[in-house]
Amino acid sequence: MLRPSVPTHTPQPSDEIARLDGIAVDIERTPVLRGVDLAVRAGEVVGLVGANGSGKSTLLRVLATLLAPAGGTGHVLGAALGTSACAAVRPRIALVGHSPALYPYLTLAENLHFVARLFGVTGSDVDDALEAVGLSGAAGRRADHCSQGMRRRAELARVLAVTPSLLLLDEPHAGLDADSRGLVDLVTDRVRRSGGACVAVSHERDRLHCLVDRVVEIVDGHARPLGVGGKVPA
Amino acid sequence: MTTLAGAPTPLRQCVELAGKDLRAEARAGEALLVTVPFGAIGLLLVPLAVGTDTPLLREIGPGLYWVVVLLFGVLVTLRASTVDGPAQLDLLRLCGVGPGTRLAGRALANTVLLLGVQALLGPVAVVLYDPDLSGWPWLAPAALLVAGGLGVLGALADALAQGLAGRTTLGPLLVAPLAVPLLLGATQVLTAARYDRTAWPWLALMLTADLLTALAAALCAAHLEEAR
Amino acid sequence: MTPSDARLPILAGVAVIAGQAAALFAPPDQVQGELVRLMYVHVPAAWVAYLSFAITLGASGSWLWRRGPGADRVAAASAELGVFFTGLAITLGSIWGKPTWGVWWTWDPRLVTTALMFFVYLGYLALRRAIVDPVARARRCAVFGVAAFAQVPVVHMSVLWWRTLHQPPTILRPGDPTIDHAMLAALLINLVAFTLVFAVLLRARVRLAAAEDALEAAADARGRELAGDAVSAPKLAGFGV
Repeated sequence: MLRPSVPTHTPQPSDEIARLDGIAVDIERTPVLRGVDLAVRAGEVVGLVGANGSGKSTLLRVLATLLAPAGGTGHVLGAALGTSACAAVRPRIALVGHSPALYPYLTLAENLHFVARLFGVTGSDVDDALEAVGLSGAAGRRADHCSQGMRRRAELARVLAVTPSLLLLDEPHAGLDADSRGLVDLVTDRVRRSGGACVAVSHERDRLHCLVDRVVEIVDGHARPLGVGGKVPA
Repeated sequence: MTTLAGAPTPLRQCVELAGKDLRAEARAGEALLVTVPFGAIGLLLVPLAVGTDTPLLREIGPGLYWVVVLLFGVLVTLRASTVDGPAQLDLLRLCGVGPGTRLAGRALANTVLLLGVQALLGPVAVVLYDPDLSGWPWLAPAALLVAGGLGVLGALADALAQGLAGRTTLGPLLVAPLAVPLLLGATQVLTAARYDRTAWPWLALMLTADLLTALAAALCAAHLEEAR
Repeated sequence: MTPSDARLPILAGVAVIAGQAAALFAPPDQVQGELVRLMYVHVPAAWVAYLSFAITLGASGSWLWRRGPGADRVAAASAELGVFFTGLAITLGSIWGKPTWGVWWTWDPRLVTTALMFFVYLGYLALRRAIVDPVARARRCAVFGVAAFAQVPVVHMSVLWWRTLHQPPTILRPGDPTIDHAMLAALLINLVAFTLVFAVLLRARVRLAAAEDALEAAADARGRELAGDAVSAPKLAGFGV
């Protein structure tokens, strides 16, 4: 069984996981974000919505410290964006992106154990996580022989094995069957209870509505508050 | 947070990365089951073009072997089965794997595979060309230095051509001219040993090339990171 | 172009005329006769090629250190010119070699090294063309610019050993080793002339690249269209929905 006893941390309102001020991002000379202001506090789940191509996934990569902004300032887990300090905080960030970050020739278990060894996490955590997402029976199956939903579940298992301080989810419900959609709630809840924060991108506003505390919309390269939990416009 | 069993050292991470690459190769068989037979075809075709004169082939055989190892070895270092896509690269960076460790892990896996390529193509060259193998013990350090040097050069080219459309053609163009010291060293070691000349200067040359390549790769690796 | 800008091309032009005149008036070689006059263009072309690759190395190192866009422009421009002058040196050498040695190509260490450098920097230019993003291009090419040049001396040494250990070095250079003073003077004038021509071309190419970057920056200042603006709501009516 997955350890239920994730050390709980009572988030303080002042705990700021990430803050972005006027962040601008260009990709291959094309501006994607123009001046994003966003604060993510400990213990909260922020939903990101916006039209196709509006820059939601790009913003997640900025928050993951994987994309240095062209303008503006920001810090994530205390590290200023675009500085070498980011390397030290990256292991505390998890990103579940559009494409699965799995090696196609490795089995699901091998993929997770590989990541666990890079982190220094014990193997039993991985096995428990695979069981929690219902993939124990498919653990020996190669990732390229798995369905999109199975790969998504395996990625969520990775997050369960290494509970991060900042969890970034890009369309987390995509490909998941009805029974496993609760997994997204499970991982976000664990992160939230351990004092971390989550940012989730989704086009499925009804699901986002149940998951998040507040929603931010990306429009014209800027972030705009759209509503709070339970009041997300459909 | 989940308790970490202790963050692994970069060396440990490097071994893990190499292990992952070798496991992928064991499943895909791209280097040893596809590229090696292709290289063997190359060894078979050359005599058809230059003439099947046995004394001539005996003389040029070792050189042809090393040319094939070099050119097809570059393809091994750029194999598609271990390409890290953007998602995998993001994952490795978020796992705390630095660019130098990533490069070293790929270079280590390349070296192991290139030794395998040499071991498989060697008997083919011996059977086809019947070369004079006196002084063969010198081949062992030469093979290791070729595999190591080409492994690092290939890893560097792979990192430079990452995600580019012409990756598999650009990579060999970047690597092949710089691998000349390895080609000359490997071919001349055996020739020198056969004619009772000192062979070690050639090994020293290869070692210098390997060390310089590794040094350049180590110094430049951090600059290959897309964002600090 | 300001008067001070025009000074360098004028100086280069005068030096080229002086160099060509010196090459024409220099005495013919005792062995090679008039063919030796190719030396006055071949040797300077090779010198400028090596100079340009050294500049690419320096500019690449500078980019890695300071990240200034100017360094990347200099590295790129110098590599382009280096490839051009290497090609010129090889071609002129080949034209000179055919009547002198009876072959278009010979396995002299200097020739082999020069040809290898030509291919290394063709690779450098191919890498530049393959990358669209300016910062990624500058970063990767600076790494290759440094790594490649670090290896070039070893490549040269290996080729040198390869010949010297195997057969006596062939005297491929024309003329007496103790070169005639008039010939030496003509060669030096041409070396200076080629260096000045290189400086003119490098400056022009760097300025062109800077102008292209300024154009891009001006487009940025006017406000480029956001990536997301290219996507609009689907128009289903035309399909009878």
